[in-house]
This record gives sequence, structure tokens and C-alpha cells, in this order.
Amino acid sequence: MGAHGVRGQIRLRSFTEEPEAIARYGALTDESGNEKFDLKLRGTIKDHFIGSLSGVTDRNQAEALRGTQLYVERDALPKPNKREYYEADLVGLEARDRNTQISGHVKAVHNYGAGPFLEIEPTKGDSFMLPFTDIYVPQIDLKEGYLIIDLPQGWLTKSNKAGASST
Amino acid sequence: MSRSVWKGPFVDGYLLKKAEKARGSTRNEIIKIWSRRSTILPQFVGLTFGVYNGNKFLPVSVTENMIGHKFGEFAPTRFFKAHSVADKKVEKTEGTGS
Repeated sequence: MGAHGVRGQIRLRSFTEEPEAIARYGALTDESGNEKFDLKLRGTIKDHFIGSLSGVTDRNQAEALRGTQLYVERDALPKPNKREYYEADLVGLEARDRNTQISGHVKAVHNYGAGPFLEIEPTKGDSFMLPFTDIYVPQIDLKEGYLIIDLPQGWLTKSNKAGASST
Repeated sequence: MSRSVWKGPFVDGYLLKKAEKARGSTRNEIIKIWSRRSTILPQFVGLTFGVYNGNKFLPVSVTENMIGHKFGEFAPTRFFKAHSVADKKVEKTEGTGS
């Protein structure tokens, strides 16, 4: 966030899926959550938005906010559909395997055009990927903060153990 | 220059065997492959492959829209670390396994 003009307007970059949605989630907070701002978008410049914040009326006030990161309250986000999850909710969940003793946590959610998949970082060893489907992730409990995974056989080995011999 | 049509799509032979074997089995297996150059054929639809990107196996669930593309297109080897999106949603699919 930075200052724009002399009337207390600010320029900011949005990191919401639909950039304009940043102004639809109600009051935004700073990192500590103590200060709240109402944002109104006024226009765009290149990849930035020009907007005005409640209580910011001159450039000095806007300058003081330079570099401030604005956050949306988690409760302000609309409820996802039945089979949908916010990526932010999934990241950090504890991953427990049904059959083996492997456990870890969800590091990231990726999608490169062939279906979403989770990157899971086990307590020991390198992270691995797992398709985000009912078969491999049969249960998710956001309240308790864990998900159950069902690792396919031989998935964690770098060799070709599970399949037929190659070439 | 594009590939001659009379040659047909290129697929590594072992991949066809693996896919056929996986279709027959009932286990939730992901087929590990190293052949990023192979074309995705109609008989692969519904299967899940783990395509090696030089470091890890990335899951590729084959759908109809992917026919004719190469496996490597869906398993990037380099990553651009962008700022995370605050309200991005992801949908859990039923999935078919293999």
C-alpha cells in the first residue's frame, strides 16, 4: 500500500481471486488486527487499485500507511460450497495416514491443469504430492485441524516399485 | 515443424502396458511415469498418473480435455513463487484413481 495524490487516497495491490473483491469483504484490518479500515475503490493504475480508506483524509496519513498489509477477516469470506474448501483453510492441517504411521502437515495446494493436489510435508523426509480426491483424502475435519490421507502403494519411493518395469 | 500424421501420436510403449495393468487392478494406485514426452491417449482418461518433474512425482488426473497433450505439460519443472491468494477455493473431486 502507498500514497496517491494529495487527498489521502492510497494505491494498493489486491491478492484476492477476483481483484475487485477486496472491497466487498467489509472492514479490512492491519496485521495486528487492531486498526480497521473501510475501503472504497476509486480506479486502477496498471496493476494497482486507487482507493480511499475511512479516516485517511490527507497525504501525510496515507504516507504513514505505506507498506501496511491489509487483511480480510476469515469470517467475512462467503461460505464455500459443499465440496469446496478455501486453500487457506487446508494449508497447515495435520495429515494423518490411514494405514501407515506417516504424519505431517499440508504445505500447499497446487493445480497445474490436471486437477488439484496437496503438497504434504511429513515430519521426516521430503514433501510429496497427493491428488485432492475422495480416494486419497477421504476425510477432512477443519474444526479438529486434521485430514485423513490414503497413500497409494509405493507412492513415496522414487523407484518404480509399484508399477511395471520401465522401458 | 509438426509431427507427421501418418506416424500417429508418440507414446512410450511401457506406458500403454502400465495403463492396461492399472485398469485391471482395483487398488488406488497412481501410475508413476518418467515419460513426459508421451502423448495422452483416450485410453488414459480416468487414470491418475504421477509424472516426474525431475524432483517429485506430480499427480495428473487425466480427463478428456487433455487428450493430445503431452504428460509433461501438466507437471512443470520450474515454479514461480507468487503471493498466495487469500480467498482461493479448491474443489474436492470424487476421483477415479486407477
